[in-house]
Amino acid sequence: MQATIPSSSNSTAGYTAQKRATPWLVNGLMIAFVALMLLPIVLIISISFKQEADVLRKPPVLLPCYDAAGNFSLGSCRFVVEGYQRVLAPKPNPNALGGVELTGRMFSTYIPNTLLYAFGASLLVFTFAGMAGYAFSRYRFRGRRVLMIAILAITGIPLLTNLLALYQMSVDVRKGFAPVATGLAASLALGKDGAQTLQNIQEQLFIILVYTGFQLPFSIWIVKGFFDTIPRELEEAAFIDGCTPIGALGRIVIPLAAPGLMAAFLLCFVSVWNEFIAGYLLIARRDLRTAMFGMYDFLSQNIINYQVIAAACVLVAAPVVVLFLFTRKTFFEAMTEGAVKG
Amino acid sequence: MATQAKTAPVPAQHTRRRIRQGGFFSQTLPFWLLLPTLLIIAVIQFYPGLYSILLSFQERNAGVAEFVGLKNFERVFGSAAFGESLGHTVVFLVGYIVVTMAVSFAIALLLNRKLKLSMVYITLIFVPWVIADIIAGLVFGLLVVPDYGLLSPILSNTSLFPPNGLSIPSDPAPRSWFGDFPFPPAPAMWYLILASAWRALPFTTLLILAALKTVPGEIVESAKIDGANGLQTLQAIILPLILPTLIVALFNLMLGGVNGVAMVFSLTRGGPGTATEVLSFLLYTIGFGRLEFGRAAALSVFMAVINLTLIMLTLRFSRTEERLA
Repeated sequence: MQATIPSSSNSTAGYTAQKRATPWLVNGLMIAFVALMLLPIVLIISISFKQEADVLRKPPVLLPCYDAAGNFSLGSCRFVVEGYQRVLAPKPNPNALGGVELTGRMFSTYIPNTLLYAFGASLLVFTFAGMAGYAFSRYRFRGRRVLMIAILAITGIPLLTNLLALYQMSVDVRKGFAPVATGLAASLALGKDGAQTLQNIQEQLFIILVYTGFQLPFSIWIVKGFFDTIPRELEEAAFIDGCTPIGALGRIVIPLAAPGLMAAFLLCFVSVWNEFIAGYLLIARRDLRTAMFGMYDFLSQNIINYQVIAAACVLVAAPVVVLFLFTRKTFFEAMTEGAVKG
Repeated sequence: MATQAKTAPVPAQHTRRRIRQGGFFSQTLPFWLLLPTLLIIAVIQFYPGLYSILLSFQERNAGVAEFVGLKNFERVFGSAAFGESLGHTVVFLVGYIVVTMAVSFAIALLLNRKLKLSMVYITLIFVPWVIADIIAGLVFGLLVVPDYGLLSPILSNTSLFPPNGLSIPSDPAPRSWFGDFPFPPAPAMWYLILASAWRALPFTTLLILAALKTVPGEIVESAKIDGANGLQTLQAIILPLILPTLIVALFNLMLGGVNGVAMVFSLTRGGPGTATEVLSFLLYTIGFGRLEFGRAAALSVFMAVINLTLIMLTLRFSRTEERLA
């Protein structure tokens, strides 16, 4: 990789301010800045654990820790999980996992949908970007250069431009598929519900394909960059040892390129998880919609229940934040590598 | 290697011939490897792009398409809303880029010192980048709800913000200094810039930091020996060396800024009034709010031209030639 990643601070070649002077000042500034960056997150978490009476207090209080006389004391903090309860709406159900079923739409419908789309699209991106990245990295064929630039340039089409056409397309596909679904369901004796299930599957496949198409160009560039770093001699050695091209790919190249492929997978997963506008416009049925739509929906529903919105924000953002914290190095490498795209 | 050597070492030429031989499938392997990608990109990106260009020359009523030439373009570019939101976009972009670049550069310089906790800092700074823009918009929105928002006691402080304090969601833009150009912007626009910069900062910081790490230490050393002070070194040595990265970062920010719509969606919805209606939000409103697809397509062709220009400029300044190899 050409770009040095920030973690490699032990390299002596890179320019690093040598003077050890005032490290406490630098550390102090950094801590202050980190605190400022995390402030909105801390504030939203504090809101999410308040009860309605404390959220609707004038003037607002940072922590709901006031006794009857109005004096601040940590002993009288009233932290509640009401906001979270209202998002999750847990109901006892002996059949569900852990004996509790989460009946809130966010966790019964929207998050499972988002997971399906994010995993589906990431798997496809992982596979296809891997294949294309390998072809671009290892083979010299006619049109290679043009194709690579075209793939980069195509990301220049604004998302909303694509959505104008994809919106029409989703309507057409839905309409066109309806009789097919009915026919298929009838011939397979699936009944009326069967036709609806087939319709849903069609819609889910369409949205997964759309997300795949959005993420592929950028991922190909990342993956190609990783393949480029693997010395060709390793494969040639494998050929000498009697490997077929496919065998060399499976035994040598893919294991070595795994971090790059993983990066493409993770970046795609987070992007799809966080994507709002395409899911909002292209998915017609409410029970197929995504977590970000759920977030947007909260805004219109609970106009006064700020603690519920805050709890939903925390719950929906937490999975990707945790995922990022565990895989941060992969993210950083992929992003400095793929930065050319935009 | 995993496979045991079965044959004696063969000259390299021999192996190359063996790869080239193979069956039809092996010979055309790159094609098969690229096929799924090309199909998907053709359907999901290329066709919609072409379709939008076609759509921009049409007017559709009840499913009947009528060719109207450049009428859509004339109507969009002639409308007051276009001029206004172009102004908003320019104000937004300038604020967003200045804030993000300045802060990122300062933080990257700090992080580039030998700090034990560098990795911890950059990781924590990066958390906002992982949070969806629609959630970031909701979060920033909740903080400035009139009366109840945690920031509203500060904002409504009349001595800090004379004469009546500040209400971000509802205060209209002050009288413009330049006729139609929306400057100074409404408080909501400042806040939108702040929230957008909050999300964009981490990535820009990472880019600049990675570039700073590639500046050879010896050059900086020798400049110091020649008597250059810190500022001179920065100006004469470091800035020119990392300039390509700064330009790439700049174009990245412009691309994101021109096209981002989710933050506007969840934070201001273009309001108060039209004070934060940027081009991408106007495109959304025309296309999916009023369902005037032809005019929306005309506007989106305009935006695609901006984007392609930005991408081509990015290519010029980044190490693309090296990467195409």
